[in-house]
Amino acid sequence: MTSRRLLLPTLLAPLAAPHIANAQANEVVVGTWGGDYAALLTSEIENPLLRPQGINPIQELGTPAARKTKLLAERTSRRGSMDVVCLGDSDCHAMGELGLVEELTPANVPNIAHVLPALRSPFTLPHIYSVRVMLYNPATIAPPPTRYADLWDDRFRGRIGFSDLLYQSISEAATIVAGGNESNYTPGRDRLLALKALGARVYSANETLAAALKSGEVSATIMWLARGYMWRKAGINMHTAMPAEGATPYVSAAVVPKNARNKQAAFAYLNAMLDPRAALGFAERMGFLPTTSNATLPAPLLAEIGLTAEQQAKLRRPDFAYTAQHAAEILNFWERAFKA
Amino acid sequence: MAALVLPAGLLVLLLLVAPMAMLFRISLNEYSPTQLMLEALQPGNYLRAIADPYYQAVMGTTMTVAFSCTLLCLIIGFPAAYWLARMDSKRKSLAVILTVFPLLVGNVVRSAGWMALLGRDGAINATLRGLGIISEPLQLLYTQGAVIIGIVAVVAPYMILTLSAVIEGIPRNIEEAAGNLGAPPLTVFRRVVLPLALPGVVAGSVLVFILCMNAYATPVLLGGPQFKMMAPAVYDQFVKGTNWPFGAALAFILLLVTLGLTVLGSALLGRRYKR
Repeated sequence: MTSRRLLLPTLLAPLAAPHIANAQANEVVVGTWGGDYAALLTSEIENPLLRPQGINPIQELGTPAARKTKLLAERTSRRGSMDVVCLGDSDCHAMGELGLVEELTPANVPNIAHVLPALRSPFTLPHIYSVRVMLYNPATIAPPPTRYADLWDDRFRGRIGFSDLLYQSISEAATIVAGGNESNYTPGRDRLLALKALGARVYSANETLAAALKSGEVSATIMWLARGYMWRKAGINMHTAMPAEGATPYVSAAVVPKNARNKQAAFAYLNAMLDPRAALGFAERMGFLPTTSNATLPAPLLAEIGLTAEQQAKLRRPDFAYTAQHAAEILNFWERAFKA
Repeated sequence: MAALVLPAGLLVLLLLVAPMAMLFRISLNEYSPTQLMLEALQPGNYLRAIADPYYQAVMGTTMTVAFSCTLLCLIIGFPAAYWLARMDSKRKSLAVILTVFPLLVGNVVRSAGWMALLGRDGAINATLRGLGIISEPLQLLYTQGAVIIGIVAVVAPYMILTLSAVIEGIPRNIEEAAGNLGAPPLTVFRRVVLPLALPGVVAGSVLVFILCMNAYATPVLLGGPQFKMMAPAVYDQFVKGTNWPFGAALAFILLLVTLGLTVLGSALLGRRYKR
């Protein structure tokens, strides 16, 4: 009799065990990029700031597309698989618009009070940011480009290359050159085709583009300033040119899903992401700027990766609602007309 | 006796049929740029994929690559399989291990090797430039040729092992009898060995063709971003475009075309075998 009474709880125990264990261990599951970013999350945020509070972060590494898809697929689940989801600013905005993520306020994430006003958003925690610029090889490109439109000059024929991953950014830059704006990329299509006629190459990843820049196969590209800083550190002869049309920011951000299992720990994680003590590591290693006013960087580093007051004032604003609605259309044109 | 297939049958049902049924259901949904997809029962995704010249071209490239790779595998695989089948048993196990050896290296790692060989600053271009044969590097990587070479290197062992198993079953004395009756070696191959090895040719070709039609890593890495085959196109729809319904429809079209061509090819070769 005793053994029969024990049978059901014994069989059910494994089902309940993970939840009990999670709660006990105060685990927070963080969906994030791998590589330097994940390593820096561990060394600058998780180990020094969160583990002493008894929070045990577990990183789930993958692509942003996979994390976004997971958030969408799990939207009807009571309990999601991630507590903190790191995404780019446009994806975070889309998740906020769909009502899938928690609103962030100084009440749940106190450090939000220090976020630069231009980068604030109700559902998004802006972690670090950089801007889109032109990179060129000073040994082969003279005079340097000063605006996006310069890249369409005949002197760049056969010398431009792009990363396939940045298709949306390149489409947006082409639109700016065509006199359009971030709310409609259609005017940029002709400019993209003109670039194709100039022999612009497309590389499957940022790393393959870096190899092409290093070998001299490509002399100029449109890329994030932070990536240019990393490549310079890796020995690639690349200078940065801020586009006169105004640079566009890219914010690496994070959200907390409404169905996160451990929201308190997730909010604590986001708060730690904005801790000024964590900013230097991301700036030194990845070239990204802190998004808060209370984080300071050494002047020489700031000169390499920062923006002047004038450049700050000219920053452009992406239209996330447009890109979310027209993502398939932008990708289709890139794949079929530009790349084909 | 039927119960013996139950464990395998259940496994297939659970891990293959059920996900495919789900995928088929998704392919009938409507795409929503913001909400992933909307519940629907409509064939629009299939009609769009079939009518679209872009995907017709992608399917054309996929079939060209798959046919070329299968033919190349057959041409280079048959002599190797024959040699393997007629080898004495002492050395055979070593030869089989050597044949299978390329399969022990992952597709991505293997492709990285090809990239180092075929790249602009790769071993081939460096050698040709060093010898003064060329002044500007040749475009070897990111071409259809690179993809075909890369895929053949992956799938050739399947062809060789399948053919070798069938050739082993052909008694050597039949070939000797043909030779004794005055048939030259090429006639022995054409009139005796090849017809008897036809079941192996069919099985090997089907296996290799299916693998080639569904190749993913090699076309992406060696074909570059401008080269498109069906499997990477399906992946792009799911991951880059987040268009699950259209990606699912493309996946089913790829499945049906592969199945159709496989059945057709087997039937044609099978008829020849019966004759």
